Amino acid sequence: MSRQEEEEENAAELKIGDEFLKAKCLMNCEVSLILEHKYEQLQQMSEDPMNQVSQVFEKSQQYVKRFSRYKNPDAVRQVREILSRYQLAEFELCVLGNLCPETVEEAIAMVPSIKNRSRQLDDEAIEKMLNDLSLIKKFE
Amino acid sequence: MFLKTQLSWNVVIPAKNLDTNGLMLQKAIILRLMKNFADKKATKELGYFMALTTLDEVGEGKVRPTTGDVLFPVKFSCITFKVFRGEILEGVVHKILKHGVFLRSGPMENIYLSHQKMADYRYVPGETPFFMNDKSSKIEKDVVVRCIVMGEKYMEATKEIYTIVSLEGDYLGPIWRS
Repeated sequence: MSRQEEEEENAAELKIGDEFLKAKCLMNCEVSLILEHKYEQLQQMSEDPMNQVSQVFEKSQQYVKRFSRYKNPDAVRQVREILSRYQLAEFELCVLGNLCPETVEEAIAMVPSIKNRSRQLDDEAIEKMLNDLSLIKKFE
Repeated sequence: MFLKTQLSWNVVIPAKNLDTNGLMLQKAIILRLMKNFADKKATKELGYFMALTTLDEVGEGKVRPTTGDVLFPVKFSCITFKVFRGEILEGVVHKILKHGVFLRSGPMENIYLSHQKMADYRYVPGETPFFMNDKSSKIEKDVVVRCIVMGEKYMEATKEIYTIVSLEGDYLGPIWRS
């Protein structure tokens, strides 16, 4: 990344470099499911799976376990499906799914770009999105 | 933020691990790739290398004439963790110093929140020191703090990413959740 690009990087305005705008981001709850599955695979491959994984893996596993708002695989799938209806960038989608803001004002504070970009989600749409998310949590 | 990426690397399999049995070869490639992946730890562009998810493609092996080892070009998918300036992050306080606190988030432990970036909090010394503001909001060990990323720097020597964060902004600060 050139110096200039680096100075311009700002996730709040969704300036995070093209390669990352296109990259698939993952929510904490999704990573938690993937790591759990990975760990089970390792258990089958070796008797001492903890010995096979790196420190980076271990620390991340602890983190996503604590910071996953949704645990049930169906709920996790539904969260992505609901958020996908609002033309969000991958990055925005995952920030919302991770932080689960409770009000429209909080959502905009967490992801200012949902208001700045041309598509302009109105408050009503954001409110509906947050309501749908909290329903999943309730019925999980 | 966790990212899912596909990468193309080369894996070298020593001649002694080569076997006419294809299954053994596949396993040798996966194990070697996993080791390379863990050793790599982190890069400036992609952040921390967390987990290899799938081996997507194994190209044709090329024999190295001097050693007889075989080099396989492989494509695989993996998860990495990188933070971006302006990103809102939730971390856990793990160290309290007079001039600020350190948080951990994902695989990162070097996330620094300076006293200057939480101006309304005062340092309270003692056996277990903490920070507190006028509204009795406390930042102590093991508390979850929501903060905004001000900057990050990758150091090649340690292969660690050092991040500075701030509490200046709406809806930032220590959080309690049931």
